[in-house]
Amino acid sequence: MEFSIEIFAEQFARTFSYWWVILPSILLGLIVGAIPGFSAANTIIILLPLTLAMDPETGLVFMVALYASSRLGAGIPAILVNIPGTAGAAATPLDGYPMTQQGRGQQALTISFTSSVLGGLLTTIIALLAMPWLSQVAYYLHSVEMIVIMIFGISLIASIAARDTLKGLIAGFLGLMIGYIGADVIYETPRGTMGFLELYDGVPLIPALVGLFAISEAFSVIEGDSILTKLGREAMQTGGWGATIEGLRETLSRWWHVVWTAMIGLVIGVVPGAGAAIAAFVAYQQSRAFSKTPEKYGTGHIEGLIAPESANNGVTSGTLIPLLVIGVPGGATAAIMAVVLQYHGVTVGPELFATRPELGYGPFTTMAVTYILMIFTILPLARYMSRVTVVRTVFMAPIIISFTLVGAFVPREYVFDMYLALVFGVIGYVARKTGYHVAAILIGVILGPLLEQYFLRAMRISQGDVLVVFSSTIGNILWVALVVSLCVPAFTAWRRRAAQERTPAAQ
Amino acid sequence: MTDSQQEHGRRKPIGGELIIPAVAVVFSIYYLWTIVDVPFTAQASALFVGTILIFLCLALFVRTALALRRGEVSLGIGGLIEPTSFVPRRLVLLGLTVAYIFVVPWLGFTLTTFLFLALAMAVLNGGRSKGFIAALSAVLAIGGWLLFVVAFETRFPAGPFEMLMQRMF
Repeated sequence: MEFSIEIFAEQFARTFSYWWVILPSILLGLIVGAIPGFSAANTIIILLPLTLAMDPETGLVFMVALYASSRLGAGIPAILVNIPGTAGAAATPLDGYPMTQQGRGQQALTISFTSSVLGGLLTTIIALLAMPWLSQVAYYLHSVEMIVIMIFGISLIASIAARDTLKGLIAGFLGLMIGYIGADVIYETPRGTMGFLELYDGVPLIPALVGLFAISEAFSVIEGDSILTKLGREAMQTGGWGATIEGLRETLSRWWHVVWTAMIGLVIGVVPGAGAAIAAFVAYQQSRAFSKTPEKYGTGHIEGLIAPESANNGVTSGTLIPLLVIGVPGGATAAIMAVVLQYHGVTVGPELFATRPELGYGPFTTMAVTYILMIFTILPLARYMSRVTVVRTVFMAPIIISFTLVGAFVPREYVFDMYLALVFGVIGYVARKTGYHVAAILIGVILGPLLEQYFLRAMRISQGDVLVVFSSTIGNILWVALVVSLCVPAFTAWRRRAAQERTPAAQ
Repeated sequence: MTDSQQEHGRRKPIGGELIIPAVAVVFSIYYLWTIVDVPFTAQASALFVGTILIFLCLALFVRTALALRRGEVSLGIGGLIEPTSFVPRRLVLLGLTVAYIFVVPWLGFTLTTFLFLALAMAVLNGGRSKGFIAALSAVLAIGGWLLFVVAFETRFPAGPFEMLMQRMF
């Protein structure tokens, strides 16, 4: 896999010539990313006849541009109305939505767009340069290491729901149990399905996402005339281009924060199955753990918005590395890309970079070009998009319910899934009102099937020895990292309390 | 108001906070019951997670019991339903949502969405601006049909409107 500047420059020029494919794909990606139930993977599947009719290079450009822009689009409703477009944006509202409530929606959107573009662009270039080494990460992670990574993800919930760690853990582990619903993969025994055949394949993610975030939010927002606070309404009266420029300046002044949180996304993206949701929460938690002002997180803190947005865009390029280098897709969209390439008789692997560099390097240069074009097309829109927050809740709540409920119907076309979304909506409403984090439940539902799959595999390899989870050196290092990661915030809080107690005593 | 009533009013009502853990315990026990007969390797993961979940819920129950004993909290559910003035609207919205899901397979996406939006907005807005709400609902329902069904070719539930449009175009 030789890399040279000539190939890179030639590939970039070649990709720019596909601007007529990239620009419409950006627009489509932003729309489908912003609507729960319409992920990039679903859209590529719906448009598969079109994609297969294109030559492989055009098809790949279309899919990659759609993929990158939908990731950015998912953050828009997360910031404006507290409803992530996809699970990858589930950490975005933690600080993005409070900013909107304070009338800083335009600034929050600008920060989200800029950190997404910078994070995505940077990780794409790094992925291109470090591909031979990064692709090896997947080789070192087996079922035992993956179990630790999954539990790492759940443990973050305790940190995220810092006001009450116990409630955070209950929400996360309840999510895991819900994620375990369905027939087990080896013995096909139905478990926890309550007799519903529709649950034999497990709990579908989109109805869970729609219910926990959208339906529960709709039932909550009707308590006020607007989602904005009084100060927020006043701030929206004086809206202009200043907030966009301020958001841009705030992000650029925190460039190092964008860089290291995007790198978290890139590394996690390389791990098959880990995904953008874990990356966003890991980045958020790490950002808070190393912050000098952790108490500001969750109140509309800029760094709390930058971290998940740059990380989930860092994942985008990461998921393509195992696909192109070793033929293992890093996520659902990458898996569909593999199917399309196979349909055209293209074999992925190291030889692809030598025989057809336009397909080997092409996805990364396409991603870079998409991010460059995206910043010029979307940034001016932040001012107008943020106006959605002034819509009265009496109109907004029914719109959210009707359009997201049918979004829950789309993936499997079961009416049952709409009822399921409503059940999750009730759970989400109770959780919101009583201090349990809905994002914690959702992360549990996402990780449940994955954790069980790796657990089953490890148990079968070890012939039922549960201590297998401590049998790997990398796994044990990760266990220690997990403990440290849980202890650092507690230790920092203890030191701060001790310092505060000392200060009045000294006076 | 008696002293004991005033005392009760000052306590933080946390009865609603026990709903999620209670559901979690009941569901975990039910789930573990459904895997009694499967081999241990297939049970281990759920046993691990289910046991931790039950333990965490018990810890919360004990913490609540201790706070009750100290007189800091009450078992009221005020935190869950407050502000109570919105309870009727919320229940109507919930009823309309159930009706939406029930009716959409027959009436289709466009008509059901129009009816749901018009009724829900009218109820939430206290019956004011009926003309505006009807027009807005129609624009949104038809806009949704154009975007999802026509442009994205999504297979939403089809009803009389979708079938008529399909025959016409």
